Amino acid sequence: MVSTLVKTNIKDWLLETIKPEEFSEKNLKVAGILFEALVPQNKIAEVAREYFSQGYFLESITAVDFSECLEIVYHFNQWGPAKRSCIKILAPKNASGAPIATAPSITSIYKAADWFEREIFDMFGVVFQGHPHLKRILLPESSTIHPLLKSFKGEPKGSDVEQCLKLLKEDAETFEITYPQSIKQQNNHYYLNMGPQHPSTHGVLRLLLHLDGERVLDAEPVIGYSHRHHEKMMEIQNYLACWPNFGRLDYVGAMSYNFGYALLIEKAMGVVPPPRVEYIRVLTTELNRIASHLLWMGTFLLDLGGFTPFFYCFDDREKVLDILEAATGERLTYDYFRFGGVDHDIPQEMVPAIKKFIPAFKERLRDYDKLVTKNVIFEHRTKGLGLLSKENALAYGVTGPALRGSGIAMDLRRDEPYSIYPELDFNIPTRTDGDVYSRYVVRVKEMEESLKIIAQIIDKIPAGDFKSGKLPKNVPKGEYYSSVESTRGSFGIYLVSDGTLNPYRIRLRTPSFSNLNAIIDMLPGCLISDVIAVLGSTDIVLPEIDR
Amino acid sequence: MEIDKNPDYLNTQSPAPGLVNLFRVEDVLNLARANSLWPLTFGLACCAIELMAGGAARFDMDRFGFGVFRPSPRQADLMIVAGTISRKMVPCIKTLYDQMPSPKYVIALGGCATAGGPFKYPGQYAILEGIDKIIPVNVYVPGCPPRPEALIAGIMELQKQIKEGKTQGVMSPASVQDSQDGRPADYKNAISRADFRKPFDPAQGKPPAPPAPPAAAATPAAPTPSA
Repeated sequence: MVSTLVKTNIKDWLLETIKPEEFSEKNLKVAGILFEALVPQNKIAEVAREYFSQGYFLESITAVDFSECLEIVYHFNQWGPAKRSCIKILAPKNASGAPIATAPSITSIYKAADWFEREIFDMFGVVFQGHPHLKRILLPESSTIHPLLKSFKGEPKGSDVEQCLKLLKEDAETFEITYPQSIKQQNNHYYLNMGPQHPSTHGVLRLLLHLDGERVLDAEPVIGYSHRHHEKMMEIQNYLACWPNFGRLDYVGAMSYNFGYALLIEKAMGVVPPPRVEYIRVLTTELNRIASHLLWMGTFLLDLGGFTPFFYCFDDREKVLDILEAATGERLTYDYFRFGGVDHDIPQEMVPAIKKFIPAFKERLRDYDKLVTKNVIFEHRTKGLGLLSKENALAYGVTGPALRGSGIAMDLRRDEPYSIYPELDFNIPTRTDGDVYSRYVVRVKEMEESLKIIAQIIDKIPAGDFKSGKLPKNVPKGEYYSSVESTRGSFGIYLVSDGTLNPYRIRLRTPSFSNLNAIIDMLPGCLISDVIAVLGSTDIVLPEIDR
Repeated sequence: MEIDKNPDYLNTQSPAPGLVNLFRVEDVLNLARANSLWPLTFGLACCAIELMAGGAARFDMDRFGFGVFRPSPRQADLMIVAGTISRKMVPCIKTLYDQMPSPKYVIALGGCATAGGPFKYPGQYAILEGIDKIIPVNVYVPGCPPRPEALIAGIMELQKQIKEGKTQGVMSPASVQDSQDGRPADYKNAISRADFRKPFDPAQGKPPAPPAPPAAAATPAAPTPSA
């Protein structure tokens, strides 16, 4: 059970670069990382460059507010077996605790750092030196607060309406202020504002498209229209009260987010759930993955102009939801898992229902193949479109089906095995082209694989308890990282616990955030009508991006 | 909830108070309006998925005559506010509402659009606690998220109101002082980084983190199961 610590090159390199007392090894099974190292501020660029040259991608950057300084925390990971490691730098605060902290930017090395650093600037007020356009990302640009600082104690009563009325006045001028010159400079080029209310953005995303005729020159996603302060909210709740947040992060595939949180707390407390629980969890998660992919497939094809698949997919999805509803009582925002167990046992009638569903859905997948996958119009529309190269995937930290469509078989169910996944037989479908069509095929194949997993375990669910005994209400002091393969990619939770009843800091590393960031390099060159196809193929859920 | 007494654009309670009485014409028009509601394709968060499910195969809102979703506010007369209203989104929602031609109706779908839902806590900084502070609402549908059946029931309720000529929206006064509940918020103070790092080495030894799962698993499993 004890994890074997893999000696990495990067580790030797780090040991030569920094003082040994700033380096500490961790247990991958508990802390979620192999080691962590505290690096002087001026060396972070050097370290990032070394990580980049060794093929690591940037999983997340976040910050933790302490009374004397801010810790900026970088998580790097590799494609293939998990080798996550954590680098920290300190951003000192001035005496009054005001957010004067600065840190060097690594945007020139990792493109993903762009949005991560902007988020830290937004939430903590850390100024990144050398960042090309440091501005707010989640909150409105006129906002004056840095909410994740501990010195932020909430806004006064009734300020929500005041703030909104103020925003109403400002909104009209914002666009002109931000992009006046570029609009007037070039006569043939123009800007098109797509969203935030657009039926094909799958939520409230705004894409600022810079166009030359019908051709996209440049695209800038503007996010934050669905920011729901999950991270701040969790700091004032106890651990149990955080469950609904995980059901509502990515509501389409909520079960895997439940899984991530359950694993995190169980790792931290050292709990091993009973075997029945593991089976129920994998079963429900995979069913949810099918439901999520079906929803994606229906809406994606609807965006491309195919109305029929939408009804087919939703019809199948309702059948999956019926099964899940029998177990969880919910259709969408599942809060089914608990620490060391699940909320209640699965009902008797669920097993025959699934057994009936499996052959029926296999038949339907064959229909989809005939209807869509081998459809010439669809192929012509999507092949060679929205290319995501391996280099860009690495630079942006893309994960999930989007990455597998570019030929990298990275799947945390295989690479950082959790629960009973190591015992199961399933493939990781990949395609090498990295276009919209590849991402489509990967997701369809993934549904088949999920079905295979369900078929394997449905007969083997052991009898027994569906929850462990009582657990303490607080999590031991320390830092933990847990990661699962959600429907959209690798979902990570970074928890800093101070040993009290509620988290000191929870950071949610959501896959769509990085995946959406990568479309900046996927869109240029596309026609405007293909923007929707490319966007749809990344399968984003906005509240998960904005958190 | 207190109803705003005179929102000037909402006085449709007594139709046609002018010289010519058009009660019958209004009735006929209302019947037409109620049976051809065109909702705006517009989703904010989780509830939008149930809105989509409502329009799709099983629930099929078309059966009742309100399945013609329009992507443009200029063609729509029903706004279904489906999801959490972040403050950044408020100007957009208000603009969309203003762009819709009259007569127009609003349904607040789910807890968030009604009153902030699960994201309401003392001192929250990101959301608007209920769409009715910005635009008037005709029907509230509770749930988190509501089932598609609930949405259909809500729209049918709206149809009933329209047919009866009672489509006055409810708008809560914009300066609601008691919008947040009185629970004290447990905002944390920053702890010292030095203190946070300390217990790892000497004080508590290394009980929580380093022991591998088998050793640590024995400890919490020891208390008797609750059930």
